[in-house]
Amino acid sequence: MQPSPADARLQVRDLHHAFARHRVLQGIDLSLHAGECGVLLGANGSGKSTLLAVLATRLRVQKGSYQLLGLDVRESAEEMRGRLLFVGHHTHLYGHLTPLENLLFFADLQLITASEERLRAVVAAVGLEKFAEQPVRWFSAGMRKRLALGRMLLRQPELLLLDEPYSALDRQGVIWLNQVLQSYLTAGGMLLMASHDPERIAALPHRQLYLRRGRLVQSLEDEP
Amino acid sequence: MSKLLRAAYRIAWKDVVGDWRRRATLSSMLFFAIAVLVVFQVAFDPDRLEATRLLPGLLWVTILFTSLMGLGRVFQAEEEDGALEGLLLSAVPRGVLFLGKWSGNLLLTLLVELALLPLTLVLFNVDVWGQLPAIVGILLLGTLGLTGLGVLLAAMTQTARSRETLLALLLLPLTAPLLIAGVQALAALLQPGGEVEPWLRLLVIFDLVYLALAPWAFGWLVTE
Repeated sequence: MQPSPADARLQVRDLHHAFARHRVLQGIDLSLHAGECGVLLGANGSGKSTLLAVLATRLRVQKGSYQLLGLDVRESAEEMRGRLLFVGHHTHLYGHLTPLENLLFFADLQLITASEERLRAVVAAVGLEKFAEQPVRWFSAGMRKRLALGRMLLRQPELLLLDEPYSALDRQGVIWLNQVLQSYLTAGGMLLMASHDPERIAALPHRQLYLRRGRLVQSLEDEP
Repeated sequence: MSKLLRAAYRIAWKDVVGDWRRRATLSSMLFFAIAVLVVFQVAFDPDRLEATRLLPGLLWVTILFTSLMGLGRVFQAEEEDGALEGLLLSAVPRGVLFLGKWSGNLLLTLLVELALLPLTLVLFNVDVWGQLPAIVGILLLGTLGLTGLGVLLAAMTQTARSRETLLALLLLPLTAPLLIAGVQALAALLQPGGEVEPWLRLLVIFDLVYLALAPWAFGWLVTE
């Protein structure tokens, strides 16, 4: 039986967002259930990153509604931030801190209690145990990306928002990420990601969402 | 320690550790302060009586310009890889983010003052060692407000092209009442029969106003 939209844990209704007069999102309706993965597909400038930024609470909901786990963004943005994780084009890492220190910083700001063993386990899980004591500034883009994505292992967020998560990852990194995301979805997490690369996510059960000029459409077949 | 205080502590820790590892702000503030003092000493070459009269203004001018240097770099680490966005996506209230940034800057400024004060007394051959605790108290009161307002203005000017000039243009007039109260409190302390209490009261009032408004204004400022 198909879950009904009313049961959705993430509900977006008639969402609009504009930068000055430039309307980027126009009347987005979207819902996600536990264990569901949505993949946003669309050309550059179609509004994928803006939609993720609004759902991450980085940008304001200018018109429409957005609820996560029954919380309304206009009243409970702070609480929602503690329940979601957004990894975008920036990794939000501090170059002068080590991976362990960066994870500790993230944990404290997400109000998560994490022991040193837990932090070391996460660093090992992302394949950076040899570099655990080195400043992140020397890391390659792929290593930084792994560490940023590894934050989801500290505490399973209810909603995971990823903007081009496969960029900068090598083949091993892609396999590792798909395994982690598969476990995350099996455990009931909700995932929404923007990608230009649908082949890489073929291994994950997902629903494709097509964005064109700020609107969700049925397909991108006639996309120029 | 509550989780929110721990988050504020972690931000301050990140700033202080970062500064220590990069040998950035603290060392340049210290060298700048010493340079200012030496120039004053050579230029005025005051006798002991005149030096005691000049001391309040001299100390506060040096502290003001030195702290300007530190404030210009308060958000430097947040420019790296979208770190400011990372802070804003954390689960803690904006006021806690301000508290963390302010505490880090306050600590660095106090460390400079700690080195500056005995150096000034030695360099100008002023014998006010008996009043040192009271002098420290006045400097501390003034620094609380100065850094509180300064961190807010640093956040405000962070994205401006010539932000250090803009920061100085805003900070100097806005902190003038606080600095006048600080100078007058020190002057009253060092002259026989001087009345310190009214100036101390004024300092406390300015501190309360700045530190009550700054976290709120910071939250408003960093919201899209």
